[in-house]
Amino acid sequence: MATATFPKKPADHINAKPVEYAPHDLEVKSYLPEIFRGVGVSMKHFFENTREIVRGKLPDPVLDRYDDGITTISYPEQKRPYPERFRGVHRLTTRTDGSMRCVACLCCSTACPAQCIYIEAGEYPPGDKRRGYEKYPVKFVVDELRCIFCGYCVEACPCDAIRMDTGMHAVPYDSRDQFIYDRDLLLSFEGRDGSHVTANARHEPGDPTHPGLTREHSH
Amino acid sequence: MPTFKLDGKTIPFEPGDSIIKAAERQGVEIPHYCWHPGLSSPANCRMCLVELVPKPGQRPMMLDVLELDEATGQYRPAQKPKLQPACYTPAAEGLEVLSDTSPHVTQARHDVQERLLLNHPVDCPICDQSGECKLQDYWLEHDKSGKRMRDEPVHKSKGVEFGPTIVYDGERCVMCTRCIRFMAEVAKDPVLDMRERGNLNEITVGPGRQLDGHYTFMTEHVCPVGALTTKDFRFKARVWFLRTAASLCQGCATGCNAHLDYDPRYNKAYRFRPRDNEQVNKYWMCDEGMLSYREAHDGRVLEASVRGKPASVSEALAAAKDLFAGVAKESVAIVLGAQHSLEDNWALRELGTVLMDSRHVYVSGRPDGYEDTILVHRDKNSNTQGVKTLAPGARPLSALLGDVASGAVTHVIALGGAAPVDAGDLEDAKLVVVAAHEGPLTKLATVVLPATSWAEHAGTYVNARGLKQVAEAALEPLGSSRTAWSLVAALASALGYQPSWSKLRQIRAQLTAPTAADAPAAAALAE
Repeated sequence: MATATFPKKPADHINAKPVEYAPHDLEVKSYLPEIFRGVGVSMKHFFENTREIVRGKLPDPVLDRYDDGITTISYPEQKRPYPERFRGVHRLTTRTDGSMRCVACLCCSTACPAQCIYIEAGEYPPGDKRRGYEKYPVKFVVDELRCIFCGYCVEACPCDAIRMDTGMHAVPYDSRDQFIYDRDLLLSFEGRDGSHVTANARHEPGDPTHPGLTREHSH
Repeated sequence: MPTFKLDGKTIPFEPGDSIIKAAERQGVEIPHYCWHPGLSSPANCRMCLVELVPKPGQRPMMLDVLELDEATGQYRPAQKPKLQPACYTPAAEGLEVLSDTSPHVTQARHDVQERLLLNHPVDCPICDQSGECKLQDYWLEHDKSGKRMRDEPVHKSKGVEFGPTIVYDGERCVMCTRCIRFMAEVAKDPVLDMRERGNLNEITVGPGRQLDGHYTFMTEHVCPVGALTTKDFRFKARVWFLRTAASLCQGCATGCNAHLDYDPRYNKAYRFRPRDNEQVNKYWMCDEGMLSYREAHDGRVLEASVRGKPASVSEALAAAKDLFAGVAKESVAIVLGAQHSLEDNWALRELGTVLMDSRHVYVSGRPDGYEDTILVHRDKNSNTQGVKTLAPGARPLSALLGDVASGAVTHVIALGGAAPVDAGDLEDAKLVVVAAHEGPLTKLATVVLPATSWAEHAGTYVNARGLKQVAEAALEPLGSSRTAWSLVAALASALGYQPSWSKLRQIRAQLTAPTAADAPAAAALAE
């Protein structure tokens, strides 16, 4: 089969200008003359400005900003207050008896748009009153690098077990695996009020706060 | 065929059909809990109530009821027609049935749904049925109202172990009695029953018994809510993360149709569910079959090996080439695998009988086992009939042992690791095995090549009744496994032959792919 020949575009349709390159002589290749010239320009302005500031003819930019009320704080020793509803890194809350509230229903993991929550459910050991119908997370892993801090997991949680009220933002670490927060780390975080439980009490059958019959009164 | 009218739509029915069954056959769903196409109708859930329009000149049966007058807040006497359960009312010629179009039926469904949820714990987040639960579906379709009852719901037994496989939660139960009827009518072991009445009603196991046997998983499968859960699946996964492939159970020669549910994120199979097929398994599967999804992961050959040491597939192929160097074709045998698909077996038969011109063809598979009259077949291999059609003259593995002992056969290529008899004598032969699962043959083999299992490739299987069925692929190949037919092609190339196939459709074309028209014909043949 003969190869097809395509008409070439006429040259005058090219909307461009040829670039004029600098000659490749020793002066250009060594860079140094141009560098000294550039540094020279910077130094000229530096000395001019310094002279004018010392003479009092130019305002000092740093002192000006102080006068405008703009201050720099010494982070991380000093911290700015975060808004009340700031979404920080996650924590897992506990019940009043210290056991975790999470029932491993995977609602957070389902709602998560970044797919950063991994949960493995397990059954309570024999003899536990919750064995048989309630589960708990054997593994609960949040990848804080994947997390986009949208707060959907907190919205989705039916048990108020995951919250983002630690007031901590994601901290920079040396390596990626340090961003993988596991269950026990998440449980160790406190809320901004310093507690591990939440303000939303959980009324379980058997609690004095639970309305109506208790499981002991069941038929 | 006689017909009746459902919401103005003409529905044909066979004599003896109930309204709900005839409608279901036409793809019209009447909501139901207790009715199941494979079980009897107790008509106790009242969800399938429909209105029957009286014949001209006949007076409708009306009930006196009290109706709330929104304007005055007072109840006033009213009348409504007596609704009939569609699962129990036989379809009759010229009958006119109102379902979705009747305001009385709509109200009845709403009320039934509200009653079923009165004492329901609504613990959907920790319930394993969540996502495939009839209570959820019908609440969205027919109820959509909040709970009005302000009392504490009735508490019943929770987490009751009915047996080695099933856990019962009385609070979630809607007392449809499907599990009771399944055990009595299909499994023929009436071990379940109900106790108490009204809102204390719950399922219980017969005294001195537990729910065991070969069909316990089906009680969970027929349960429309999360009352019965299997110990195997509960707490493992949420169903909305799972994807489904139309697969086949590989546990025996019955070839039950099954849905293989797997999580594509972790490339892991989680469970089998029966796939309705009137010709094969109807709506059921046995426990062993339901658990055989585990074989997608357990006991797998995932890496090639040479003399028991791990090797890459190319190293294993090179070792096979050395093994077969200068061998006389009279002393080469092939062993077809009754556990592998038609396509895999076709490829090996092609290599053995056409390319290598060997006359020694054998067949191997798992030994026979337990059988019953419901579903379980004695033959524990999924494709024995398929191998028979491919190679009618194939001899059993015991014959190969004799031939190896007499020196007639020195080199063997086998598909599948299973052996029905003690195959220790094969140690004397040079054995190359292409297998998905470990077995006696992979232990004896000099070279083992890792094949994908039924969960990872599409394959055709012929069940004991001669029905050709296709299983879809679900998982991505695990480890370094490849489809057995492509491994056989690679083996053929390594041994210096030119394989005639490189794609699945080439093999399928040779096999005359199964068609919808094929299946009934084959079934009729088997009858």
